[in-house]
Amino acid sequence: MALNLRQKQTECIIRMLNLNQPLNQSGTANEDVYKILIYDKFCQNILSPLIHVKDLRKHGVTLYFLLDKDRKPVQDVPAVYFVQPTQSNIQRIIADASNFLYDTFHLNFSSSIPRKLLEDLASETLKRSSVEKVSKVHDQYLEFVTLEDNLFSLAQQSTYVQLNDPSAGDKEIEEIIEKVASGLFCVLATLGVVPVIRCPRGGPAEMVASLLDQKLRDHLLSKNNLFTEGGGFMSSFQRPLLCIFDRNFELSVGIQHDFRYRPLVHDVLGLKLNRLNVQGEKGGMNLFELDSFDPFWSANSSLEFPEVAVEIETQLNKYKRDVEEVNKRTGGGNGGAEFDGTDLIGNTKHLMNAVNSLPELTERKKVIDKHTNIATALLGQIKERSIDAYTKKESDMMMRGGIDRAELMAALKGKGTKMDKLRFAIMYLISTETINQSEVESVEAALNEAEADTSAFQYVKKIKSLNVSLAASANSASRSNIVDWAEKLYGQSISAVTAGVKNLLSSDQQLAVTRTVEALTEGKPNPEFDSYLLLDPRAPKSSSGGGGGSHVKGPFREAMVFMIGGGNYVEYGSLQELTQRQLTVKNVIYGATEILTGSELVEQLGVLGKKMGLGGPVASSSSSDH
Amino acid sequence: MPVKHGQSSYRDRTDEFFAIVESLRRSMAPAANNAPYVSGRSDVGRREDPRSAASLQSEFRKRAGKIGLAISQTSQKLTKLAKLAKRTSVFDDPTQEIQELTVVIKQEISALNTALLDLQAIRNAQNDEGNNSRDTTTHSATVVDDLKNRLMDTTKEFKDVLTMRTENMKIHENRRQLFSSNASKESTNPFVRQRPLASRPAASQLAPLPWANGSSSSSSQLVPRNQGEAESSPLLQQSQQQQQQQQQQQMVPLQDTYMQSRAEALHNVESTIHELSNIFTQLATMVSQQGEIAIRIDQNMEDTLANVEGAQSQLARYLNSISSNRWLMIKIFFVLIAFLMVFLFFVA
Repeated sequence: MALNLRQKQTECIIRMLNLNQPLNQSGTANEDVYKILIYDKFCQNILSPLIHVKDLRKHGVTLYFLLDKDRKPVQDVPAVYFVQPTQSNIQRIIADASNFLYDTFHLNFSSSIPRKLLEDLASETLKRSSVEKVSKVHDQYLEFVTLEDNLFSLAQQSTYVQLNDPSAGDKEIEEIIEKVASGLFCVLATLGVVPVIRCPRGGPAEMVASLLDQKLRDHLLSKNNLFTEGGGFMSSFQRPLLCIFDRNFELSVGIQHDFRYRPLVHDVLGLKLNRLNVQGEKGGMNLFELDSFDPFWSANSSLEFPEVAVEIETQLNKYKRDVEEVNKRTGGGNGGAEFDGTDLIGNTKHLMNAVNSLPELTERKKVIDKHTNIATALLGQIKERSIDAYTKKESDMMMRGGIDRAELMAALKGKGTKMDKLRFAIMYLISTETINQSEVESVEAALNEAEADTSAFQYVKKIKSLNVSLAASANSASRSNIVDWAEKLYGQSISAVTAGVKNLLSSDQQLAVTRTVEALTEGKPNPEFDSYLLLDPRAPKSSSGGGGGSHVKGPFREAMVFMIGGGNYVEYGSLQELTQRQLTVKNVIYGATEILTGSELVEQLGVLGKKMGLGGPVASSSSSDH
Repeated sequence: MPVKHGQSSYRDRTDEFFAIVESLRRSMAPAANNAPYVSGRSDVGRREDPRSAASLQSEFRKRAGKIGLAISQTSQKLTKLAKLAKRTSVFDDPTQEIQELTVVIKQEISALNTALLDLQAIRNAQNDEGNNSRDTTTHSATVVDDLKNRLMDTTKEFKDVLTMRTENMKIHENRRQLFSSNASKESTNPFVRQRPLASRPAASQLAPLPWANGSSSSSSQLVPRNQGEAESSPLLQQSQQQQQQQQQQQMVPLQDTYMQSRAEALHNVESTIHELSNIFTQLATMVSQQGEIAIRIDQNMEDTLANVEGAQSQLARYLNSISSNRWLMIKIFFVLIAFLMVFLFFVA
């Protein structure tokens, strides 16, 4: 039984919609209760990729509103609230309750509501004598957005900037780490598993891992915890492996261009919460939804773009053939001459079949149209920006660890947006082992000429040069025993950049994350990854440092990969390929604090660069408008 | 297993909440005894007002709940019926049960239909009173629509089951004919008892029946030959009598097969019409179903609403301008008439 995050979360939401009553076989509540659903902005993001209006109706939700919308009272109807436990939301709920908007209030919080807020809620509702209105209070542990069966995002914005901010204090960092860890805890609670945690030593990954370990331990201490029922028999043998990485582990993947369908759609057209806005031919915006219900999308999203175009073509032809078939069977066959009884019966049968097959055909047509539109839009962008050239040159660069100067300059002076050039330049920086000063200067000049914001470039350059000087003085041994977290973080982020480079150099096409996950799940001794931290929340405290028993090292069938500071569809695709290629790992769930496009990550790098006081005058002008 | 997972991944904090409420109430009670009481009184006063609406609303809710329950019960019966109808075995055909269930379900569906109409009437009455909020109106409209959809689905399912049943019966019929055409198996065929009564004594008298083929051509060949025989040997009264009897016996099945074929043809026509009506209803629902299928909750409904309202106001303005124009035209017309009058009276 593979872990299916999307299915699990949908189940949880449906249960919540049914007022947390047990469901019967058909998947609906025993008694019909019509109710109103109220959610806040964050929970809307959780709900919208998972559940459609049709499903809401099926579960008796008649109206659905945002929390901060002006709502009118509806008598005699229970209201289901699904909100984040924040002060403002609580205030709003209190106001609703004291205005007697609805009959009863079923409060569901996306994560555990702190005791203090609960007390606030109690005292305020008591004061306004509306406490009877509150009928149920639940912690749902659903504070993450599931995009696909194996892809989730914590929807925590610009974590990368916050974590790498040189001016950030202990407290801020701890807050972020806490947020990330509690988000991960929600994911694990929803899945109902206690994983074995592995992560590279040092940096945010270790901090998150140890905090999560702590949380799980604390939680497992209590008798009636979230994992007792869910884990059961299976978990003792088949526990998943949770690998936590930091974005700095492999920065390049987040920046490079990719030519596969899904990353391309995400990067170029801005896929967001499985939804896509594409400029139509007549100027209007077309809204498309891309999720696992779209058969074409789930089948072909990991193919290269040209193959996808071919696939669309074949699908279209197949569709046309089928339509012709239906037409022939119903319309063209009889010319009125042989109009006797049996033929009439046969004819209506055909007509029936045709009518029955029509919805399926229109569905297919819709899908084909959608992807044709998307592909057209993509093709336009690709031609305009010559993304194919960027992709090819970047992967060449990564393979060979460098590039001809002429080619470099040609790319920087050629087609493409400012951002494309900037990304290319950063890729160049990451890919080369040693910095050639004159070459870098000419790259910078070219960027300035293209009026690109160079602060991100400057930031990466700075880190790189620091790294080179550090690498000369400090060897790898010093890495492992730095106690002070700030220093460790700083050192880690630097050394990780080179680590990422090496990873890329040694593998052809395969990402470092994928390789690492593969090695970790196999569980064979591997000198490269033996230094990774191993935490087992179920094991007794004393043995956790020593590496635990053999069962926590053995081959894992299920794996979860979490990327702190922004993931992307390239890594997701690569990890899904791993499950098909390799035998031990059956299923990999990929998650990140947020799903970032290349340009979004570069923007975050730019922000960091500015915080360090780097970047040209162009940078300051462009930063003012966002 | 997945359900179990689902159950474990949330926490009920209601008890905790009410514990806090209790402790707060206890601590607050001596200090501010009057305050909550007064506010409670004012609330009562405030709530007095929409009471009638609330009672109507609860009536609505009660009825809606009842209808929902009835629909689910009906659909349960329907699944039972479907299971029965799916049985293709020739030998135990639960016709009786199926008939009964069909009648029951049919009655229930029509009763539900009237109940829904009543519900709609209640809703309309409520809306006419006009003291409901917009959200309440939308809520009740959605409830009614939902119930309607569910009833529609149930009806459709019912129809499907019936269609399947007819299909099965047809298959049975065919198989029956296949068997009954084989004369040697006639005596063992359990369908003998289902034949028309008239043929039964004949079947018991003559073991190898020449007309049991059921094909009208062979029996029609037989009839004149028998008549010829009867004419050629008028000597023996007894034999003639026998012959006549035989003839009669042969005529009966002849008519029988003819009627059967007629009935079958009628059946076919009927089923054709049925299928056609099916197609039309399907087309109708297909058109109506396009609506809510793919909507996501975050789609910007507000924009649409604003657009619609904008369009409406534009239309209103246009109407205004048109009606003012009309007024102008009338005025001009009057002036013209007046001039005409003046012209007629004074000039002509």
